[in-house]
Amino acid sequence: MGVMLPAVRDGASLNQALDLGYRQVLLERGSLLSIVGPLAGAARRGVAIFVNLDAVEGLAPDSAALAFLATDLGFSGVLSVKPHLLQDASRFRLRTVQRIHALDSTGLETGLHSLVSPAPYAIAIAPAVAIPQVMASIRSITDTPVWGTGFISTAEQAGEALRAGAAVVSSARLEVWRDFSRTPVS
Amino acid sequence: MATRTTVTPGRPRPVDGSLSRLLEAFGKVPVAAVIRRGEELPRALASQVPAVFFLRAPAFHLGPLVWAVQARGKLAFVHIDLIAGLGKDRAGIAFLAREIGVNGIITSHSGLVAAARAEHVISVQRLLLYDDLALPAAMSALDHARPDIVEVLPGVIFPLVVNEIRSRLPLPIIVGGFVTEPAHRDAALQRGALAVSTSTAELWP
Repeated sequence: MGVMLPAVRDGASLNQALDLGYRQVLLERGSLLSIVGPLAGAARRGVAIFVNLDAVEGLAPDSAALAFLATDLGFSGVLSVKPHLLQDASRFRLRTVQRIHALDSTGLETGLHSLVSPAPYAIAIAPAVAIPQVMASIRSITDTPVWGTGFISTAEQAGEALRAGAAVVSSARLEVWRDFSRTPVS
Repeated sequence: MATRTTVTPGRPRPVDGSLSRLLEAFGKVPVAAVIRRGEELPRALASQVPAVFFLRAPAFHLGPLVWAVQARGKLAFVHIDLIAGLGKDRAGIAFLAREIGVNGIITSHSGLVAAARAEHVISVQRLLLYDDLALPAAMSALDHARPDIVEVLPGVIFPLVVNEIRSRLPLPIIVGGFVTEPAHRDAALQRGALAVSTSTAELWP
């Protein structure tokens, strides 16, 4: 059984995800500061909010930004390809999700060998549709839970990534969020 | 430092000849061998692949490897983003083009495509598809840079974006990244890829 993590980029998509009953969202793109109010409100109501630090606008990749996310906004975790940023984030009790690009075998190896220590809360493989092809390589190196982000545009693709062993998949498509909540993937 | 005497510094060869030669060769054998370690090279040299992509080459010991490839009538490409020891800039490309005499460079960066053009070597620009939200920006960058060839990675994404890419970019496409089985190669070629690039030696004909 896997989890869908709606990827939102603005207030409208955030509301759509919450209206569908999701209790977790990923801010994947856009300006965090333009929807900081709604996001903080959702976090106060217990919604787990994750932020892709490599792609959102308006935040510096530094301790001050992490402290703001953790302490002022009550967010749950951050995603990044940058090991030092994740190590910093763990000091603020943010869940750390290390992004790794699965573009070719050489790049995947480089990414897996840059895994932070202590192990991140999860690793996020992008694109998620590559997960069935790369899961064996990942598992030969680490047992850390695998998330998937990128290029999930159908519930079927989400299901394939989950069946291949992903714990969480993210999609920016409203149709997938809808299909997913109606058809739980096992 | 060893340099190839047939290449006169300051007078690089025109790109047109080698590009048309490459396109024609891929028409017969649509596979490029990706080399990550020197010991993988002999098998690529013995194969029929018309092009060799050096992925993690040591810049200042690259000459003999490149010349061995060219001595077999194949074209040698170097991934400049991943090369150790070399600046990722115009001077780095000039070194590869003039001192080593590579046939082309591979890069993810639009700025280096222009530098490759200025040095008259073939430019292969990588389209890295890890995030569909980043696709429009990546396509615009390619459209602007106009490399000779686009390398789309990873292969599993190619079928999902092929129509969008082809409608925006009338450029030859090489598909790479986790092309490890004949089915991956065939899927890419059937959808109109010029060739696949792979480090899986079993796929080198």
